Amino acid sequence: MSDPIRKQTNSALWLGLVITVLGILSNLLYFSKFPAAALPWLNLTLPAIGLIFLLIGLVRAFGQSQIYRGRIWGSIAAVLAVLFLAASAWLFVLVRSVPRSAGAPQIGQRVPDFTLSDSNGQPVALAQLFAASPGMPQPKAVLLVFYRGYW
Amino acid sequence: MAISVDAPEVSEHLRGKQGYTFTFLSDPNTEVIRRYDLLHKAGGPEANDIARPAEFLVDRTGTVRWVNFTEDIRVRPRAQQMLAAARSIP
Repeated sequence: MSDPIRKQTNSALWLGLVITVLGILSNLLYFSKFPAAALPWLNLTLPAIGLIFLLIGLVRAFGQSQIYRGRIWGSIAAVLAVLFLAASAWLFVLVRSVPRSAGAPQIGQRVPDFTLSDSNGQPVALAQLFAASPGMPQPKAVLLVFYRGYW
Repeated sequence: MAISVDAPEVSEHLRGKQGYTFTFLSDPNTEVIRRYDLLHKAGGPEANDIARPAEFLVDRTGTVRWVNFTEDIRVRPRAQQMLAAARSIP
């Protein structure tokens, strides 16, 4: 009586799952000290690589089902990975749809003057930001941070 | 200091909540935002006009010494970059 064929670990499927999960987690790195410029590419390439391994694993699971497991959980994982990759790609395009701002002040140019209300409703001119205040000498520079708002 | 389209009360709430000591200014009509060519039409959560993120380090003569325009709004400059630029100003 011959031995039944031993099942082998579907390593491609497991690797695909781990890499996809890492891709999902990479979205949290924006809140860490990780260099942010590399993150948008990580958010895209990790899920893509994970999906490739998942598909390889699925081909094995379905093609050699006596040896490799994972037809059901692998299929579910692959569907989720596709959805996540699509969401990552959509988000990637969305966050880069920023206007060109070709007319914004560049290094060496003078910035336009302005007077705006501060958070107490008091008008503040750009020049006033360079004034000395109690306990602090005149600043040698001011950082203007324009942000989207709605925080 | 920080400029956005948020009304003064909204900025003051944010300032108090986070304990920030720098100045928040309000530009609800995007007048200054447009003067700096930073308008992002319909870029806000309710398809309203907002500023695209940008940072300018300006010296006492009003000249830009360092600038950052983000291509991806999730990627913001780290404080070290800004501080290094500020230290280089005589």
